Amino acid sequence: MSRTGGSTQNKGPTPKPSSDRDWLEATGRGVTVAIIDSGVDATHPELAGRIVDEVGARVEGSKVTFTRVDDGDLAGHGTACAGIITKVAPEAKIASIRVLGASGSGDAQVFLAGLEYAVKQRYKIINLSLGTTKPQFFAPLHDLLDRAYQAGCIVIAAANNLPQPSFPSIFSSSLISVVKSEETDPLKFGFHYGEVIELTAPGVNIRTPWFGGGYRTLTGNSFACPHITGLLARMVETYPDLTPFQAKAELYAVASRNAHNTR
Amino acid sequence: MSESRTEEFMERFRVLIRITDLSQRLADPLKEVMTELLETSCTRLKAAGASILVRKEDSGALTFLAATGEVADQVIGLEVPAGKGIAGFVLMSGQPMAISQPDDESGFYAEVDKATGFSTEHILAIPLRFRNDIIGVLEYVNRAADAPSEAFTAAEMDVATVYAESVAALVNAFFEGDLLYDLSSRVANTEEERREVQTWLRSIRDVSSHGRALEIAALINELASMGDAEIELCRKVLESIIAYSRSNLSGLEFTDE
Repeated sequence: MSRTGGSTQNKGPTPKPSSDRDWLEATGRGVTVAIIDSGVDATHPELAGRIVDEVGARVEGSKVTFTRVDDGDLAGHGTACAGIITKVAPEAKIASIRVLGASGSGDAQVFLAGLEYAVKQRYKIINLSLGTTKPQFFAPLHDLLDRAYQAGCIVIAAANNLPQPSFPSIFSSSLISVVKSEETDPLKFGFHYGEVIELTAPGVNIRTPWFGGGYRTLTGNSFACPHITGLLARMVETYPDLTPFQAKAELYAVASRNAHNTR
Repeated sequence: MSESRTEEFMERFRVLIRITDLSQRLADPLKEVMTELLETSCTRLKAAGASILVRKEDSGALTFLAATGEVADQVIGLEVPAGKGIAGFVLMSGQPMAISQPDDESGFYAEVDKATGFSTEHILAIPLRFRNDIIGVLEYVNRAADAPSEAFTAAEMDVATVYAESVAALVNAFFEGDLLYDLSSRVANTEEERREVQTWLRSIRDVSSHGRALEIAALINELASMGDAEIELCRKVLESIIAYSRSNLSGLEFTDE
């Protein structure tokens, strides 16, 4: 079953983003974005009718399963990310995969299971604001991200600006990693080819919905990430069979144009 | 109590004193340094207060270990359940975060504000990493009275990240000391016994003569290492001095010539 409005498998002609960039006018209609986070407050006025699925992790021994939940967001962060995505792509839908609070400490195992769930469900676009620095998760995450890439899932991860490397944001080949910039226009993102974290997007003083019905002003890389996710929802509406590679190439092209225009 | 039981008790008591003393010697200065670092960083970041929350291994909850600011005394020891609030998310995600300007009653982990009467408007939360683990969260709240009430900036987030590195190392060292504290609990018969020893150690360290008392202890220790005869001699000399002092309530008078 496709969760994208288009298949994650290549069927028919390979889509090629056009040079006139008609996706810039798209709104994310028919595209569902998976958010692996703290849950999403589906009752927030800004998100009413946008949340198509809500699951939460349950931990039993070493097994993690996902079941339907209706108690929203446990920390506010997932709602904030959903708010940014739907601002950039006003008609995109959200599937919330909650991995926070399931095991007490919110360990990497649960987060990994959440990502695996999203890939198995074949969500075309997966927003990931979490990471781990534990080396034992390097290989399983790398393997999972490769599987996501091969399945055509576009994974967007927030980098951290701490001294230690965090996985998976440093896996440059199989996902799109984002760090915050002080830019305010979502379309004026940057692409720094060759750097570990390639994308920069607005992530400073972002006003966005918060759980419980209010709003917050937020700063952090994890708020830069959903800006790129929203743009990709627009892109996937226009090119439903877009591959992760094509998505990156298109982002690179637009960012290069941005850089050229500001010279 | 038989002689062997008395010996056993005294030996256990001596071990308890040594371990408790060592754990206090390690932990107390570390907590002081943590608080000083919070104060220094608060000044640098123009924050009204700061706190260090540490993860409890068993439940994943966060406990306030050290704090500075208006309600510091009230927050220390408070617990934030696993996964709750900004700190819970930062602990899990490993992502530093600044949050500001709530325009409603929802939001920040309100239980802490309720417990302290404090009104949180701005938070800057940084994960505390030690080696490959996230062991807690460093939080700055609100702006200092002489600074405009505005959100923490991205540049301040970078500065706080540097402080967090030092704080994480201190927290880890504190936990190492805590292991000794746990060990003292095992040696003590009851919690009350351990606390008594702890209080006694604190009281003797607080008096100005403690340094001189330690010097005497060191001399006795050196003498005792020479052999049984020296130990016996030392004991007799000390007993004679104590007996003499007790018989003369004014005690000994010593003039430095």
